[in-house]
Amino acid sequence: MKRLTLLAASLAFALAGTAAERTITIGLVAKSQGNPVFQAARVGAEDAAKELSAKYKMNIKIDWRTPNEEDAQKQAEAIEQLVLAGAEGIAVSCSDANKLTDAINRAVDNGVPVATFDSDAPASKRFVTYGVDDIECGKQTMEELAKVMGGKGIIAVLAGNQNAPNLQKRVQGVREVAAKFPGITIRDVYYHKETAQDAVAKIEQVMQANPDITGWAMIGGWPLFTDNALKWQPGTVQCVSVDALPAQLAYIRSGHVPVLLAQQCYEWGHRCVELLIEKIVDHKNPPAVKEISALIPVTAANVDAFAKNWDKWLPK
Amino acid sequence: MFTTLRNLLRFQESGLLLVILALGVLLTAFSGSVRTPVFEVGPDGNRQRVFTTNESGERLPVFEEKNKFFNAQNLAQLAKDTSFIAIMAVGMSLVIISGGIDLSVGSIYALASVLGALAFRHFGPDGASPDTAPWLAVSLGALACVGSATACGLVNGSLIVALRVHPFIITLGAMAILRGIAFVVTKGQSVGGFPPLFREMIRWETSGGLSLVPLGVMLVVLAVGWIYLSRLAAGRRVYAVGGNELASRFSGIRVDRVKIGVYLLSGFAAGIAALIALGYYGSASSGDGQGYELNVIAAAVVGGASLTGGRGSALGAVLGALIIQMIASGIVILGIDQNYSQIIIGSVVIAAVVLDNFNTWLAKRRLTQAKH
Repeated sequence: MKRLTLLAASLAFALAGTAAERTITIGLVAKSQGNPVFQAARVGAEDAAKELSAKYKMNIKIDWRTPNEEDAQKQAEAIEQLVLAGAEGIAVSCSDANKLTDAINRAVDNGVPVATFDSDAPASKRFVTYGVDDIECGKQTMEELAKVMGGKGIIAVLAGNQNAPNLQKRVQGVREVAAKFPGITIRDVYYHKETAQDAVAKIEQVMQANPDITGWAMIGGWPLFTDNALKWQPGTVQCVSVDALPAQLAYIRSGHVPVLLAQQCYEWGHRCVELLIEKIVDHKNPPAVKEISALIPVTAANVDAFAKNWDKWLPK
Repeated sequence: MFTTLRNLLRFQESGLLLVILALGVLLTAFSGSVRTPVFEVGPDGNRQRVFTTNESGERLPVFEEKNKFFNAQNLAQLAKDTSFIAIMAVGMSLVIISGGIDLSVGSIYALASVLGALAFRHFGPDGASPDTAPWLAVSLGALACVGSATACGLVNGSLIVALRVHPFIITLGAMAILRGIAFVVTKGQSVGGFPPLFREMIRWETSGGLSLVPLGVMLVVLAVGWIYLSRLAAGRRVYAVGGNELASRFSGIRVDRVKIGVYLLSGFAAGIAALIALGYYGSASSGDGQGYELNVIAAAVVGGASLTGGRGSALGAVLGALIIQMIASGIVILGIDQNYSQIIIGSVVIAAVVLDNFNTWLAKRRLTQAKH
């Protein structure tokens, strides 16, 4: 009897669904609210929702549930709450892959497909992960830095949150490439809270204690989100940074930073929503579980053209 | 009927209960419904989804509609999310009642988590001693987690008493030191790979898929805290020290011993919370519990603990944590833009404290009138 009631409820719901426009809620759980790259991902997700709503003639909503500061436990709770609140798909950037694996698996077991972006949970049942290859990202950062430094000098690595697995892999990539340049010495890897102020403070402390440093490999762009992070004359200390947010582009123009490596953070959100909707509506899986997004080098030659992208990517 | 209501309103935490009731009614009324998949227990004892076949022979999953807030899964989730902060808030309320403060609970939670995690991993499937008896592995891991947290609390209390430095300073320093130790011992890596028995114990579910162990532990901690504070002489001494330390000293209470005891118990509570979180989430890193000290203090204060000491209760701390979590979960359930969440949580925390203070004022007025 109970089964029949449930079946009737399901059929009634299905019939009602055909009469009204179907609404699909996609949960978006990034690492932290304050990091602008995740705000770009949010805009990307919302743009994709609008485009796909028109394409599929349905109402796709993005439910943004990101902790204020990095907290994997809060992310896991957000995933569990999204499932209970009726989200039909979830995209997440994992602060701690181990801690999120069970929450992701539970969501998938409840019929909610999960995609990861930026930072993966490889042991989980997520159907796809989208983002850079982090070891390659670290390698590319170091290669560009070695190029502008002429293959010699003392460098420091700015590395953000010491617990983030993706950043640890980037540091590994930096170390691997630096080892190929006998003239380059890594003074140390410096961790900090992933805010612009904390990152700038860390650079100032390090430069005061180590004035002989001649290069910075920044595997995230945190300090360059402020407008006065690098207090040396352009060209005296070389710097290559991941990310190319609007505030960072000013450092290319001033000559402080010869190369920025842009992650496609807008695409993190946009592509994940595309993949999730294809999975939910078309029941289509991506060709591969790992979808790599390339880093785009931004230099003085293409900075103005690249800057125009941000008119679209920033929250209005 | 009126007598029962009047008795209920005289109850110390009645203001908090009214807030929780009002929030529950509002969330139930405005949350709408959600369509969730139906599960059943299969022949192998595992939960599996229920399917049906439509006219064209296609196998389709069966769904049912439920109120988004008032359903068993959501209430169990709410209880689980509340439990970690609530357990620590019971310990924190002891410290606050005694007139102290413990800013290091988040870091104690992190250090206990990583030390417990390292011990559990040692006995886990990929660890150095995978053949250890499961019960022994779980016991030793739990001892490492809860024991280290209790030791941290003991050190905090001892330093506060021995150095005669304000607890704010000692626990502020401890907050940085303990998190630093957690980072050094883990080298920034997430630690997982625990014995399956431990995970199964904490993640045990009812046949309806409800995970109730964190709730059960929270209730045990609440019961112990309530008995300690309201039924034991040791608990009354905590109120006495927080109410008037000098008078307590002159009346023969060993104030230093009471102070060390409350920090030790606060550390112990943080260790219990860390142990439950370890089993539920399956890993730990040195970044765990960042900012939890403020959530824990907020829960205790919303629950009626006075930052000047001498007032508060274990039940109030748990209800305070529940109110904050209900608001946080309600924001998700109602689909409110997360940009407004901090504004809403902050406003409701202030409103809850004001309502509770108003209720206390009413109770005092009734008492004064009765005397006259």
